[in-house]
Amino acid sequence: MAQYYDIDDILAEDELVPAVFQEAANGVGLFDSSDDANKVEQGSKVELPFWLARELHLRQAAAINVPPCYNKKTRDEIEADAAHVDLRNRCPHFYELGHKIAPLVGDRTIGSFLLFAFQTRYKEVLIKAHTAAMAVAAKFLTLLTKEETKLYEAAQSSMAAFKKWRMGGPRFQKAAVLGRKRKPID
Amino acid sequence: MASQSDPHGSAFSAAELEFLAEDEMVEIVPNMTMDTLNLICGDFGPFRPQIATQVPLWLAVALKKRGKCTIRPPEWMSVEKLTQVLEAERDSERFFQPLPFHYVEISRLLFDHARDDIPEVYMVRSLIEDIKDVRFHKIGTGLEIISERTHALKLKNLSAMEVNIVRPFVVRALQTFYKLDSPEMIQESDRRANRRPQAPDHGPRRQLRTGR
Repeated sequence: MAQYYDIDDILAEDELVPAVFQEAANGVGLFDSSDDANKVEQGSKVELPFWLARELHLRQAAAINVPPCYNKKTRDEIEADAAHVDLRNRCPHFYELGHKIAPLVGDRTIGSFLLFAFQTRYKEVLIKAHTAAMAVAAKFLTLLTKEETKLYEAAQSSMAAFKKWRMGGPRFQKAAVLGRKRKPID
Repeated sequence: MASQSDPHGSAFSAAELEFLAEDEMVEIVPNMTMDTLNLICGDFGPFRPQIATQVPLWLAVALKKRGKCTIRPPEWMSVEKLTQVLEAERDSERFFQPLPFHYVEISRLLFDHARDDIPEVYMVRSLIEDIKDVRFHKIGTGLEIISERTHALKLKNLSAMEVNIVRPFVVRALQTFYKLDSPEMIQESDRRANRRPQAPDHGPRRQLRTGR
């Protein structure tokens, strides 16, 4: 809520999370395609976007489960070799969603897991951003989450701007209006 | 200051830094006679042939372009000094040598406009390039130690250009760490339990001084 105009914040809330309906609900059959009666039974498991799941959770109409990207398997992989886990495939807004979901599901360990993941992967981003050529980086970039990509781009673009400046080139930029010929008015 | 090259508006562009660097003073030897210039930023001159005087870099470059003076390269831009700096820079893994805050920009401006006034210009140029590369490498390895306990980084003797290049990255990284380490995410008791041992293959750890 704090970042109402942040597009990434909005997109992060659009991720699907597994939830269990605590009460039967009428008129929302689209969540449960196996049901023709256009209603959701109590206890049925559905995937809801996070923004909806949160509201239902706060009204105790549904319970949020921990999404698969924070499960044991991912944790093991992160612990083994954090830098080469394809987090984008699992959840493009890994940190953002984790940050939002941790207080709701009451899983204390998510916080430290996220921190550990970022801490190790951050180093990889740092090294790659300042040294690797674009061709090498392309493969590596597909592993990064949205947040990490932004970090990478921040480093990359400032380095590129510096290199461009050092190479020289025109020092003065011509305003677009200058040098344009006026068209005769008929 | 918002710059055109940077959508986040948090960093200067290289050209803006160059502009700021032009206020640094250099010594010139004029070959013409001119009265004192009374400018808002100070009085410069009077200019007499063969008598050295201090002027800002932008004025020096402007006079040089018109062939009205020769620029005396600053003291630190001599081959001996730079060789010393380079060696010291390579020797210490942790500390940066004191160089002028705008050394990257000043040297570039002088190489562009006053090549003929710098003795052994090729040597000087490659030395400065080397120094810059060594320092950048050091910054890169230094930044690896940012962690959730880092609240501030103290980087002594870093130059304007170097700070500017790492700024967007460092700011974002620190913000993310701050967010993930907020008290609502991690309780104090978990914090200790989950502190994992450091991987042993990192070699000697470089410590930028980190404030708590």
